[in-house]
Amino acid sequence: MNKVTENLRKTAAKLLQDKEVDMVIGYGLGSEAVRTQPVFITSPDDVDKLVWNPFCVNGLTKYLSDMKDHPGKMAVVVKGCDSRGIYRLAQDSIIPRDKVVVIGIPCAGQLSYTKLASKIDVSGQLKDVEEKGEDVVIKTSKGDFTVKKSEVFLDKCTTCEHHNPVVADHVVGDAINTCPTPDNYDEIKKYEAMSPEEKAKFWLSQFGRCIRCYACRNTCPGCTCRECVFDAIKPDWVGKEIDVSENELFHLTRAFHLAGRCVDCGECDRVCPMDIPIRLLNKKLLKDCKELFNMETPGSTEEGGSVIGQYRLEDPEEFM
Amino acid sequence: MADKSLKKDQVKNLLNKIAQSNQLIAPILSDGITLFKPVQSGEGVVLDYQNAVVPPKDFFFPQSEKMFSYDMSDPSWAIKPEEGVPNRVLFGARPCDVKSILLLDKVFDAEFRDDFYIDKRNKTTIVAISCNDCRHTCFCGAFGISPGKAEGADLLLTDLGDRYLVEVLTDKGETLAANCSDLFSNDDGSGAAAKEKATAPALEKQMKIDLEGVKAKLDNMFDHPMWAAESLRCIGCGTCTFVCPTCHCFDIVDFNNQSSVGYRYRCADSCQFANFTRAAGGHQPRPSKMERTRQRFMHKLRYFVDRYGDFGCVGCGRCLEKCPVNLDIAQIINKVKEVG
Ligand code: SF4
Ligand code: SF4
Ligand code: SF4
Ligand code: SF4
Ligand code: SF4
Repeated sequence: MNKVTENLRKTAAKLLQDKEVDMVIGYGLGSEAVRTQPVFITSPDDVDKLVWNPFCVNGLTKYLSDMKDHPGKMAVVVKGCDSRGIYRLAQDSIIPRDKVVVIGIPCAGQLSYTKLASKIDVSGQLKDVEEKGEDVVIKTSKGDFTVKKSEVFLDKCTTCEHHNPVVADHVVGDAINTCPTPDNYDEIKKYEAMSPEEKAKFWLSQFGRCIRCYACRNTCPGCTCRECVFDAIKPDWVGKEIDVSENELFHLTRAFHLAGRCVDCGECDRVCPMDIPIRLLNKKLLKDCKELFNMETPGSTEEGGSVIGQYRLEDPEEFM
Repeated sequence: MADKSLKKDQVKNLLNKIAQSNQLIAPILSDGITLFKPVQSGEGVVLDYQNAVVPPKDFFFPQSEKMFSYDMSDPSWAIKPEEGVPNRVLFGARPCDVKSILLLDKVFDAEFRDDFYIDKRNKTTIVAISCNDCRHTCFCGAFGISPGKAEGADLLLTDLGDRYLVEVLTDKGETLAANCSDLFSNDDGSGAAAKEKATAPALEKQMKIDLEGVKAKLDNMFDHPMWAAESLRCIGCGTCTFVCPTCHCFDIVDFNNQSSVGYRYRCADSCQFANFTRAAGGHQPRPSKMERTRQRFMHKLRYFVDRYGDFGCVGCGRCLEKCPVNLDIAQIINKVKEVG
């Protein structure tokens, strides 16, 4: 067992024993070697179910919103990127900051299930993971596999802004000192350079295959409306029909609702079963907000506030 | 009809020929993922894929489909029915997906006859293809499906390296084969043994899930605490149900843009959505994730058996691969067997 897992279990056990919280939301072993599943621990006897390894891809903050009526306090495990979701939820008044105990884990990067499954047999049970320089050795009941980390990182981790959580009541694990690789938005610039026709062709083909499962919305810490506009029946702002025009309306509406609010956790992009690059839309909005309004990544600080929700005299208005 | 043989380099010709007189639906690589699409010719068709992200169910039960349209400025107020589909060939379907269509038949073409479905079903010839390799999430064997058999298909192709073995399974298949007979030769008798060898790796690789006793156990598990525990991590998306080849729930909606013309359509709905069971007046028989998670697994593994005598899952593995929170039906089956 790694040190972080050990300390995580100790921290969780203490929080539960001291009745500081009555639930700890974290990661447990998954049904396959390179997956974890969110677990909800309510007794100190069960903390052994908690793990920390490079397969802790899920963002867990959205569960706080689902359980906002939960009577007691809850602890949640966050990585750097997810930690911004804590401030998102607090700033949106979804869940008061003092109802949550944040267990922050400095994170060097998470590995993609899809990428791993295309390289190795992931179907066994995980026995151990060892990091060896550039490589990771994944020991499973179906054999040991050595993989080059850089080939299987989640895309978002290669330009991670906060390896260390921006907020944590308890930090488990050593701080990560590698300098964050700044995102120079090269990929976004490539899309910006396209002609309107090329952009339309690319995006309509992507939107066309959306199956409107709403996994992207349901996992998003910024999507917390009591009734989502896409669920409204009367009036049905966006039809339930699955076709490219309704799908486009869905995607663009969702993008605008997240403009200046998306914490860039990348979860929507990860969960999409149809591999629609949702993150490109969010990144474009982030880039614009940064360039036009000098905004930091939403959720980075306690104060924050949304670009759309505030007004400053010096705001640019060249588009008016 | 005796088994046939098709040279590898003739597949494209076969597809082109089929496309001349039918709508051809086949798996292609589209922006990095494999999907079934209507295609004009054999160009770009991939047959060595491992399960399309969404099943070909869409061509029998589309995710959205118009039922009829109307124009109220027309004095007769006539309802205009939708036109049916042309004759079609679904090419390259995997055995699990073919079996799922037999299961959909039990829903849409039995006690209640669904004309929309039946029209598409009648006009479609299914050419299946055996699996030589499979995904690590496949477990069709649990449901008596085999990588080298395709009950429900009209023709079955098996990749034997330099050629395909072509088995003619139905009259519809025979008609199709007869129309393309110039492309086939007779199998020299070695096909059957070669097929067994070719499909053995898939059989070996797939997950072994044993369903013995699961249904009987579920009969008494409606109130089991397991459902609440497992449902906690579910985010209530429609992924598992929309990628499932056997899920068939739908909603019916009228579209009228405040003008005299409009139409009625139906579209797939998901029992995992909170508003799926919300009734007029606000009544909600499945108020929490617990009821919704239970419903999905119970429907597949218990209610479907009660109603139709077969499991409502074909072990394609899509839902467990795509579920964002690793709520894995194979793991659930094993847990059902373990819990007290
Ligand atoms: S983006 Fe950063 S904090 Fe988030 S998973 Fe990747 S490396 Fe970890
Ligand atoms: S997760 Fe993907 S397929 Fe599902 S609604 Fe979002 S964009 Fe569409
Ligand atoms: S829009 Fe996507 S990246 Fe942004 S906060 Fe929501 S889930 Fe995270
Ligand atoms: S089981 Fe998984 S895929 Fe299905 S609704 Fe829940 S989270 Fe979504
Ligand atoms: S329940 Fe899952 S494994 Fe079974 S048929 Fe549906 S998608 Fe495939």
